Amino acid sequence: MKQSLPLRLLLAVTILFFLLLIGLPFWWVISGSFKLPQEIIAREPTLVPQSFTLQHYAKLLDASAYPTYLVNSLIVGLASSVLTVLLAVPAAYAFFRMELPFREGMYRAILLAYAFPGVIVLIPIYGLFAQLGLVDNLLALIIVNTTFALPFSIWMMRSFLATIPRDLEEAARMDGAPTPVILRRILVPLILPGVAAVGVFAFISSWTEYLFASVLILSDDKRTVPVGFAGIIGQYQIDWGLLLAGASLAILPVVIIFSLVGRAFVSGLTDGAVK
Amino acid sequence: MERGFPKPRTKEAADPGVGGQGLRRRRLSERKLALLFVTPALGLLALTLLWPLVLAVDLSLRDVRFIGKPGEFVGLANYTDVLGEARFWQSGLRSLIWVAGNAVVQTALALAAALVLHQSFPGVRIARVWVLLTWIVPTVVVVIIWRWLLSNSGGMINPLLVQAGLLEAPVGFFSSRESAMTTLVLINSWRWFPFVTLMILAALTRIPGDLDEAARMDGAGAWQRFRRITWPLLQPTLSVLLVVGTLLSFNVFDIIWLTTAGGPSGGTQTLPVLIYETAFKGYELSRAAAISVLTGLALMGFAIAASRSMTREEGA
Repeated sequence: MKQSLPLRLLLAVTILFFLLLIGLPFWWVISGSFKLPQEIIAREPTLVPQSFTLQHYAKLLDASAYPTYLVNSLIVGLASSVLTVLLAVPAAYAFFRMELPFREGMYRAILLAYAFPGVIVLIPIYGLFAQLGLVDNLLALIIVNTTFALPFSIWMMRSFLATIPRDLEEAARMDGAPTPVILRRILVPLILPGVAAVGVFAFISSWTEYLFASVLILSDDKRTVPVGFAGIIGQYQIDWGLLLAGASLAILPVVIIFSLVGRAFVSGLTDGAVK
Repeated sequence: MERGFPKPRTKEAADPGVGGQGLRRRRLSERKLALLFVTPALGLLALTLLWPLVLAVDLSLRDVRFIGKPGEFVGLANYTDVLGEARFWQSGLRSLIWVAGNAVVQTALALAAALVLHQSFPGVRIARVWVLLTWIVPTVVVVIIWRWLLSNSGGMINPLLVQAGLLEAPVGFFSSRESAMTTLVLINSWRWFPFVTLMILAALTRIPGDLDEAARMDGAGAWQRFRRITWPLLQPTLSVLLVVGTLLSFNVFDIIWLTTAGGPSGGTQTLPVLIYETAFKGYELSRAAAISVLTGLALMGFAIAASRSMTREEGA
């Protein structure tokens, strides 16, 4: 598509604006995590680091419980991700591909659950989990994170299921294959991008969750990164180097995952969006 | 389902007894299987959302100070207490300001970003994925990024604004109620606008390209085409996003809590912050539950009213 010169200029300026808006803060934080303390708090901030040190990372990994938080977050994130996929994929299949009684009502309930304010059920969930002996247990976070990732995941699977021709299933059905076999052998391989997208979504939501993790976990060695790390902010007199190193490390896992399956995730988000 | 089965159906017609029954039996088992597939998901939602909602109502009618102790039944006393408190109404007002501010800033940013990402330029496919960067990192990281950048010890924003001549001297972005609220709205929008961007981008890709092309052939300028074609066709998406976005940004707790903890002097204490504080700082669990229930009712009212007005618009 040909664009006029002023329009192309406007486009370039806008691209630059968003590039700086998103990129610059991350650049400052990540490059800052390698600066010496005196450069971090210098009156004249530097865009390009003038010093290099790994002391903040060393301190973070040796002297704080940050590694424990990372491990806990990874456990909770991966488990929530797997559980969400296991629950969302069959449910979405039933919703969008099978004959299901009360479909409309159930689907509406799912959509409603998506925008549900978690804080409203925070107190009763705490009470309920206390009764079940789940307080201060990572399992509690896995359950809660799956709950909140589930509605959006089911909705997101819809666009992936829609891309698979029904003839394929029906041919297999004519050959007498039972539905679970069809699902496992034919559909799952085809909707793997969708499964990846749901898995990534659940992992990210779990990775960033703060509210429930701050209430349901009591002991320090079970904390996840958002809560444990937030504790570090207040613990020491603000040690920016330490915090910047911690922030950079917390960015790393989601960036790695996103560079592997980010595209599938984005197409899941946009292909089925708001229909 | 029957569409793809021309053969079995003819057989069925020839021998309705056997084929019909077989089909019916299979349909019945498919329905059972479908129910089996949705049950675990719905069961979990019922256990962790629906049931706690019932518990919240029960809790709000009692006087519970400690989790696990049943507490005396006090009827609507918690509700009259809460409704008589200025704090509750002030927090409600702050939540309104919060939601409205986020809606304006995020829609503006997201619309601009989506229009850009809808064009073709080198690297656009990568940009469509990585625009989400601020949305995939933990809130606590967002909070640290901005607390540092806005701080007066090594923060970049103050020197930048002073150099650009926009500020005379460095300011404390969280020192007054108004500026704390404004700053938080901007930070939260920075985190969330990419998500809205992708939703709008999805709607843009569904607008048929030949419509735009035809208008261009007729000599319509870029602005005219946006005003007359793109904007009206985006309306349905934008109104859905407004409803979902309102609920989602209403829910935001962690960014506020970790940045200002509701301060200074309550200036950023929205309803979720008030609920959290009442329950886990003041240990007034029942009162917090009453605020939760009132909040839930208000949001439900909003959602119903919004979806009604949307269906009405569609009908008109």
